[in-house]
Amino acid sequence: MRTETLYPFVAVVGQEQAKKALLITLVNQKAGGLLIGGTKGTAKSVLARSTQELAGGRKLLTLPLNVTEDMLFGSIDIEYAVSLGEKRFSPGILARATDNILYIDEANLLRQELLTAVLDANSAGINNVERDGISYSHAVHTTIIATMNPEEGTLPAHILDRFGLYVDVQPLLEVNDRIEVMRRALAYSKDIPAFRAQYTAETQSLAEKVAAASLLLPQVEASDAMLTLAAQLCAQGYCAGHRAELYLLEAARALAALAGRSYVLPKDIEEAAQFVLPHRMRKPPEQQSEEQEQEEQQSEEETDEQENDESDDDTQDDAENNELPPPPLDNGDADNYDENNADDNDNDKDSEDDEQQKEQNNSNLAPEEQIADIDKSFRLPKMLLDLGKDRAVRRGSGKRSVTKTDLKQGRYVRAELPKVKVTDLAFDATIRAAAPYQRLREDNGCALNIKEEDLRQKVREKRIGNTFLFAVDASGSMGARERMRAVKGAIFYMLQEAYQKRDRVGMIAFRRDKADVLLPITRSVDLAQKRLAEMPTGGKTPLADGLALALQTLALQNKRDSELEPILILVTDGRANAVHEGEKEPVDAAIKIAEKIGKAKFTSVVIDTESDFIKLGIAKKVAAAMGANYYTLQKLTKESVIHIVRNLN
Amino acid sequence: MKRTAVYPFTAIVGQEAMKLSLILNVINPALGGVLIKGEKGTAKSTAVRALAELLPPMAAVCGCKFHCDPHSSQLCDDCAAKLAAQGALPEETIKMRVVELPVSATEDRVVGTLDIEHAIKHGEKKFEPGILAQANRNILYVDEINLLDDHVVDVLLDAAAMGVNTVEREGVSYSHPARFVLVGTMNPEEGDIRPQLLDRFGLSVVVTGEHDPLQRVEVIKRRLAYENNAEAFIASYEEEQEALAEKIIAAGKLLPEVTIADNLLETVAKLSVELGVDGHRADITVIKTALTVAAFNGRREANLDDVKQAAKLVLPHRMRRRPFEEGELDWSKVESFLAAEG
Repeated sequence: MRTETLYPFVAVVGQEQAKKALLITLVNQKAGGLLIGGTKGTAKSVLARSTQELAGGRKLLTLPLNVTEDMLFGSIDIEYAVSLGEKRFSPGILARATDNILYIDEANLLRQELLTAVLDANSAGINNVERDGISYSHAVHTTIIATMNPEEGTLPAHILDRFGLYVDVQPLLEVNDRIEVMRRALAYSKDIPAFRAQYTAETQSLAEKVAAASLLLPQVEASDAMLTLAAQLCAQGYCAGHRAELYLLEAARALAALAGRSYVLPKDIEEAAQFVLPHRMRKPPEQQSEEQEQEEQQSEEETDEQENDESDDDTQDDAENNELPPPPLDNGDADNYDENNADDNDNDKDSEDDEQQKEQNNSNLAPEEQIADIDKSFRLPKMLLDLGKDRAVRRGSGKRSVTKTDLKQGRYVRAELPKVKVTDLAFDATIRAAAPYQRLREDNGCALNIKEEDLRQKVREKRIGNTFLFAVDASGSMGARERMRAVKGAIFYMLQEAYQKRDRVGMIAFRRDKADVLLPITRSVDLAQKRLAEMPTGGKTPLADGLALALQTLALQNKRDSELEPILILVTDGRANAVHEGEKEPVDAAIKIAEKIGKAKFTSVVIDTESDFIKLGIAKKVAAAMGANYYTLQKLTKESVIHIVRNLN
Repeated sequence: MKRTAVYPFTAIVGQEAMKLSLILNVINPALGGVLIKGEKGTAKSTAVRALAELLPPMAAVCGCKFHCDPHSSQLCDDCAAKLAAQGALPEETIKMRVVELPVSATEDRVVGTLDIEHAIKHGEKKFEPGILAQANRNILYVDEINLLDDHVVDVLLDAAAMGVNTVEREGVSYSHPARFVLVGTMNPEEGDIRPQLLDRFGLSVVVTGEHDPLQRVEVIKRRLAYENNAEAFIASYEEEQEALAEKIIAAGKLLPEVTIADNLLETVAKLSVELGVDGHRADITVIKTALTVAAFNGRREANLDDVKQAAKLVLPHRMRRRPFEEGELDWSKVESFLAAEG
């Protein structure tokens, strides 16, 4: 990256914490790299890139999101192989980044296996390459600076933990600061060289300070007392493992070096703790509920809710505030940054006010027709799809599952030997396979003579979402206001998750004498939420019609997009009582259609809302007929995870 | 039809906000593009394609694949090396253009990839530029941007944020400037757009069909006249088209001289704090847009009205928003705030 157009580090207004963290990172590679988190437009990337000028000759290499594995880890040198017929290693980004800086923008969008591999190689200090007929290993010693915007999902705890330092940047709220930001942005865009010239001297002196600190670093000593302090702080934060202490000491040494001292003071450790602890602190073990431990066991990928907490205070707030859960994020379930929590609390207050308002409105409606509002405090366990290993070739776009795709779409991740016929040729891999043999093959006029055995197929990956069809009982028996609120709350919660994971949703409501499609299957989860809010309840329960329409919609969806299997979520109390002519038993009719759904092998979930004293258990029978996963609404709130498994029939 | 006729930009009835937002981006490509939201049949695509006719000429380095600006410091590696070696760059004048990114585009076509032919013939690696290379200093148009695959969106985000396209794939390692005006259209009923991509758009407008019966009649009349005889129809707008094209060029020249009073900067900062807008990009874009509006109107100083017009284009899609919150901008709040400030 060239420096002529960089926005100078010293020209960034405020953000002192982030600047300090970057300086530590530049001075001491052993501090474990830095992850900068924050909402959009807070100069995260500007700061990260501007470090180029302070890095004392080290280069800033960008790791793009579309990187292929051969370029990251290194592979065979094609040109050398073709001309000399010998295999030689061609270095990848990891090799080039050694003794330089590796910059990852939007790290949360990078494929997690790659991110983990990069971080692991760097902490192990070695990159072992076994690919394309090459066997090679080389040392890795780089400084990683990454940014992320948690809005599209944060990183799972086990990856966060691999970054030595973390800093959260927030927009400046002082009007004068904001004005200064605008002034400088305008001046910069008007004349970049002139703007940069104003800061040359300041940049120069800071770069010298970094260089001096780097030079001093090997002499900076931390006394045993400082080691004890570091260990105490980490223990207080219930940090997992012992990486925290090491990063804490290294960061503190960098701070001492920056201050021109050859010994670490307690204030260095305390300052360093602000960067080392936030992303790895946990709740005290006794406060970690069993629920979360279970989750951890279930999947390493799932983020522990507590790990992102900024401080203990926050955690307390969270425990007390059992209201609106923070929006679930990709793979994880929380982004508990100060501000978000504060906002959530505000929202809760607002929605309470709204609720009162709506209750008044509701009383004006006819008694048999009412619109229940959404109980947004409703808290459900997250849904865990357990549909077996998805090895089938699928297409679609979303975040819930990563899958292989047969269309020539999706990200090209690696190449493999073709199984049957080559449909999507991986040229680069093919050339790599053919290169070493060129001197042995007859000349065909081209530099490369490619034989069939060289051909390689591209493996592409794409994140696909799921399709959820909600079939909601909106009859009078559901309409007892509190119950419908809870039902809407449950659906709202599932929609929230769908929003994060880019799932598709559809909604059917059945009441009085028929079922209606409230929302055809769509990506717009917002629209689903609106329809849900507006959904009136009242009248009889045409359960059979609801199921029939659901079956029809599912079948249509399956035909249209057979690769993306839709999942039916039926929410009902099972009290079917709407009778059509020619039918005698509404319950039997419903069960008949449920059996059809079961036979068609659609995956389904039944959420039974029956809460009357005498339970008829019809919804349970329907679930059995459909081969559905069965939950009662009451039970749901106590579960930690809704397991949705393939059709049980 | 001899050549693909394009419906003239100036013949589009109404839709003033959309037209203004497109023009402003042509005058000042640093605004960050525009997202046009609206139902089908609201002239979204017509307007973007028609814009091509109004685009100004620009200086470019002769023979450069990325049409680098010879007078800027943002050069590609080849041009930078050439400049260092020769002291000057050969120049040519080319027209800014609209580059389309189809929703079905594959990632390798977007970012560029290994030149296969060259590799097979010569046994050497060479980079074959993709759509992002074409888009440098041009308008990148994505129809139905909300349907774009996630991984292609990631690539766009990367390039839009850095102004550079970094390629590390399929055996090639290359980077080149990719500064483009991102213009996207979408029908909100067909799904949402990712928040990070949304933020990359400088401006956004919502278009709706005209409700005034007289206007609607005019829309149909012009459409029929165009379909009946496209050439004659286009000819009848030639004068207007030329006038607008000249106005855009003049505004582009005036833009560097346009200033804004300090108290207006303060107004914008206070407004952002008051509304709780995320980050600083909103403030900066409001000011830049206000300056551009002033330039378009031939003025050397941006005033409160310009700021107001800019705020209406910049703020609506930047309201802090979480899933299922409306996150809509209460425009009356902005108006009363600006009235009090002014």
